[in-house]
Amino acid sequence: MKNGFVFFVGIFAALGLSWAGIVLGSNSQVGGLTGYYDDSDGQSYPLRPSGEAAAGLLVYRDLGCASCHTQQVRRPGFGSDQARAWGERQSVARDYIYQTAVQLGDFRYGPDLANLATRKPTAPDRESLMRLLYTGQGAMPAYSFLFETRKISGQASDLALKLPAGLEPRKGRQVVPTARAERLVAYLLSLGTAYDYPEARPAPHAAKEGADK
Amino acid sequence: MTTAPIQAGPTSGEWDAPAGAGAAGAPGRGPLLFLIGSALVWLVVSGVFALIASIQLHTPGFLSDCPILTHGRVRVLQETAFVYGWLGTAGPALAVWILGRLSGSPLRGTSWLGVGAAFWNAGLALGLVGIAIGDGTGTALFGLPAYVHPVMLASYAAIAIAGVLAWTGRRRGPMFAAQWYAAAALFLFPWLFSAADIMLVLAPVRGVLQAVVAGWFAQGLWTLWMAPLALAGAYYVVPRLTGKTLPNYDAASLGFWCLVFVGGWTGGRHLIGGPVPAWISTLAVVTTAMLVFHYVVVALNLRPALGAGSVLRFIAFGVGSYVLGGFVDAVTAARSVAVSTQFTTFDQAQQQLALYGGVSMLLYGTLYFAIPRIAGRAWSSADLLRGHFALAATGIALLVVSLGAAGLSQGRDLADPSVSFAAMATHMQVWLLVATGAQAILLLGNLLLAVNFLETAVLKPGSGEGVAS
Repeated sequence: MKNGFVFFVGIFAALGLSWAGIVLGSNSQVGGLTGYYDDSDGQSYPLRPSGEAAAGLLVYRDLGCASCHTQQVRRPGFGSDQARAWGERQSVARDYIYQTAVQLGDFRYGPDLANLATRKPTAPDRESLMRLLYTGQGAMPAYSFLFETRKISGQASDLALKLPAGLEPRKGRQVVPTARAERLVAYLLSLGTAYDYPEARPAPHAAKEGADK
Repeated sequence: MTTAPIQAGPTSGEWDAPAGAGAAGAPGRGPLLFLIGSALVWLVVSGVFALIASIQLHTPGFLSDCPILTHGRVRVLQETAFVYGWLGTAGPALAVWILGRLSGSPLRGTSWLGVGAAFWNAGLALGLVGIAIGDGTGTALFGLPAYVHPVMLASYAAIAIAGVLAWTGRRRGPMFAAQWYAAAALFLFPWLFSAADIMLVLAPVRGVLQAVVAGWFAQGLWTLWMAPLALAGAYYVVPRLTGKTLPNYDAASLGFWCLVFVGGWTGGRHLIGGPVPAWISTLAVVTTAMLVFHYVVVALNLRPALGAGSVLRFIAFGVGSYVLGGFVDAVTAARSVAVSTQFTTFDQAQQQLALYGGVSMLLYGTLYFAIPRIAGRAWSSADLLRGHFALAATGIALLVVSLGAAGLSQGRDLADPSVSFAAMATHMQVWLLVATGAQAILLLGNLLLAVNFLETAVLKPGSGEGVAS
């Protein structure tokens, strides 16, 4: 190798090719995905997240929740995702089109959250998620800085947590979620992949397309 | 330029400053030493974060009351300080120095080097504070907050100018392997980083394409920046310390082009089973297998590093880890293996094998070779150097084995739906404790290096004053 110019062009081409192949290639395949309009329901899926849920995604991201939780249910037969009741179907690209910062995650030290709010048979509600965030559980630490312990003046707040014995604050005080906690929980409760897109149905072996999307 | 002072201690050996050291390296001595010194500070900082993150895995309550030290943030802080602070500061500094030495004339553009070094460190410090208060981008290996990206890019360009000038102004004739890798790394980082910046921050792509871009970027950063930076050092140091030409050197250029052309396509191995087009991970299976060719060439070329010598030992360990890491990547890219290693600490074991065992060890070796020649003085302590090697080698081996074992246990437990997450964490407990011990050992080893550097390049008053010309 003597020619510096050829060398320069070579490494640029190498990078450009991989970019074109992977990024442009997948962009042409899933970049134009739109919501799926269901005639019988009269609306399009996935549902757009509420403003508060969209803001909660940023809380989820900045606390680094994705360092222990994934948001991708893998296809039946690939891992135990279905058996753990994380979702009845695999996650597909269309599930994420309205998420401003996709949090697929790469480490499972806690359960997958892609379908948290529509899990069967039981999905967590606001109250239990708040409690979990405040107290922690097992390997999940308590995020108590997302809550405020306030003096009760007059009537206790409707939003105050109902905590188990031993964890409740001193008498005359209450634990109230901050705005960040409210947003985070709103986001968690917006996570659902219950709607069955045609591409998410496991394809029979003869018809290959769609199976691995 | 007079002969550099040589401290001929009782154990003087290959790390002593050679006669005539600094003839080409003298200009830019200050900025280069500043870059390497700051890299060592970031290395220690990342070691502290690594220790905290490791403790948090087996003792979740550790520092969790502190919003700036949630596990998620500490992991990003550790990764950023390690990749951008240590590898990304020491690596380019050594690449610039190598290009300067091989160009046959003194470094030019050294004032840019100094300015770049100052702003790179300032941007990084600001970025780490930003991550701690929650401004990070949340993307792997790209965690720095958006507002420091322009500073990082501009200061990197300023640092690279000296290297590019040395490369374009080199003597006519064939380029050496060390020059290919160094020049490629200097050029490729800004392209990669700005492409990721545009697609993830300025005009974010939609939905899962973000994950595809992030995977492409992270793998590119590894194969097209960090690995070449480390290999540039190894290809430069090994022939000089062994005094022989590299065996099978004809194949070296094929090995280089294989890495550059194939490396960028391997990013899909982390997306197996995910909601992205399946051909991305299929492509990764094929390309990680093709990349084995590159690892074989590197192993063949650099096998003389296995000879004795306290600096060569770092390089030999580094080459061994680098090549082993490449083979493990090729195996775990296969779906049947990934199904049980994906989402576990096995992934982290692979990353540590590559970044610590491979890239860091190669950079340590290059650094031990380069500092006496940049500063014009021998290392102040051979014992600290030997101690560093012992601690680093032990720490890396322990870390990789413990994370790997924890990952296999985690993979088994994840596959069995009857095992709860609490039980899974209990099964991993012992190995995670070992990993914490390994992080403590690594931190101690890096402190030895930092102290040795401080005594050699900063605190020795008087000697070597005449070297800066």
